[in-house]
Amino acid sequence: MRLTLRALISHGRVARKMGLGPESRINMLRNILTGLVRHERIETTTARADEVRFYAEKLVDYAKRGDTDEKAMKMASFWLTEKDLVPKLFNVLAPRFETHSKGYTRMARLPNRENLDRAKMAVLEYKGNPFPPLYPVKKDNELTLINQLLRGYREDRAQQLATKA
Amino acid sequence: MAAKGLDKCFFSLRLLRNLQLRNERLVSTSACRLVDDKFIPPSKPVIIDKTQSVASLRRFLSPEFVPPRQRTNPLKFSIERKDMIRRRKVLNIPEFYIGSILAVSMADPHASGKANRFVGICIQRGGKGLGATFVLRNIINNQGVEICYELYSPRIQSVEVLKLEKRLDDNLMYLRDALPEYSTVDPDMKPVPFSPTGEVPVNNIKVRMRPKPWSKRWERPKFNVQGIRFDLCLTPEKMEHAQKWAEPWREYDMLKEYDTSKLEEHLLDEFQQEMSK
Repeated sequence: MRLTLRALISHGRVARKMGLGPESRINMLRNILTGLVRHERIETTTARADEVRFYAEKLVDYAKRGDTDEKAMKMASFWLTEKDLVPKLFNVLAPRFETHSKGYTRMARLPNRENLDRAKMAVLEYKGNPFPPLYPVKKDNELTLINQLLRGYREDRAQQLATKA
Repeated sequence: MAAKGLDKCFFSLRLLRNLQLRNERLVSTSACRLVDDKFIPPSKPVIIDKTQSVASLRRFLSPEFVPPRQRTNPLKFSIERKDMIRRRKVLNIPEFYIGSILAVSMADPHASGKANRFVGICIQRGGKGLGATFVLRNIINNQGVEICYELYSPRIQSVEVLKLEKRLDDNLMYLRDALPEYSTVDPDMKPVPFSPTGEVPVNNIKVRMRPKPWSKRWERPKFNVQGIRFDLCLTPEKMEHAQKWAEPWREYDMLKEYDTSKLEEHLLDEFQQEMSK
């Protein structure tokens, strides 16, 4: 059983209803996508982040086609409302994801919003962004007793192997 | 016994003398009855068309082979395609487009001769897989008739293309609201020869419509109709009013895009391989 968000969307309809109508939905997604391209890590509600994720990845696919491609330029200028981000998309984001074939974004859940609505929040980021990682790698404390003993054991073993060989 | 032997030598003598076709045929059939118990048909001439190379032949993949964008298992589509190719090996379904004139003969127990033949313009091709259909339209005795045939139905005995051409749209449903002269097809039309290489001729005809109301509002941009002469039936204000339903964001909506070019190539290769087996 697919437990993803997509499974909740009825009868194969892939697009959620957002805002006042299809035009409003596209405009909202445009604004969120522009914010994502500018800041590379944004927090919104989970549903919006999930919708934008698809468009963000498709936009990067178009950007990979290059600056000179007419369709790519039209798409970029439509989706990015702030036009100073269009060169950023083509010159920074596209080369960054040249080696990746898909999966340019990462989404993680956040605690619910503090307002009265207690909305489900999520953070959406492009991979390779300059901020500290969302899932920080927790290193064990070297100075605990057990870790010090283990370290000593590892060093003794290494010494023994070196004298044997 | 002796008579049989005499006939045999007469047969060989006559062949040596190179008589006319009628006599030869008479002789050969009679001789075959006598010479062998089994009838051996003469060998068919093999025509090798060296003027057209395989590469120049027009590659056409019927649209019902392309699977729709769904969550179903691709195994279902591959099994369906196998069945479609099996049917196509028995019945030749030619390539045709919307706007071509076809003649279909379908088995009918109640018709004289057990088959009925219908000639018409193809106005719509719908469905994918084995349920693929096409609608033929014609006007018979001042009555417009549209018949929806299933391509892979076992009742269909033959499909012939009388005239192969394309039109400006993929859906000619607006012919219902057009003047009847654009939907009439002569049932006894002779097939127009067309070459299997080169481009399909596009008929850029712009159809004149009957006065409004129409069955659908064809001027609206969602139908994207290129083949109607709107300047004769609608004022520019009405055309502008119709543009209110334009939805300009639709062409930029990446979710709605379904790029089938690579899939189509793959399917075409598979189809040609299977058909040549």
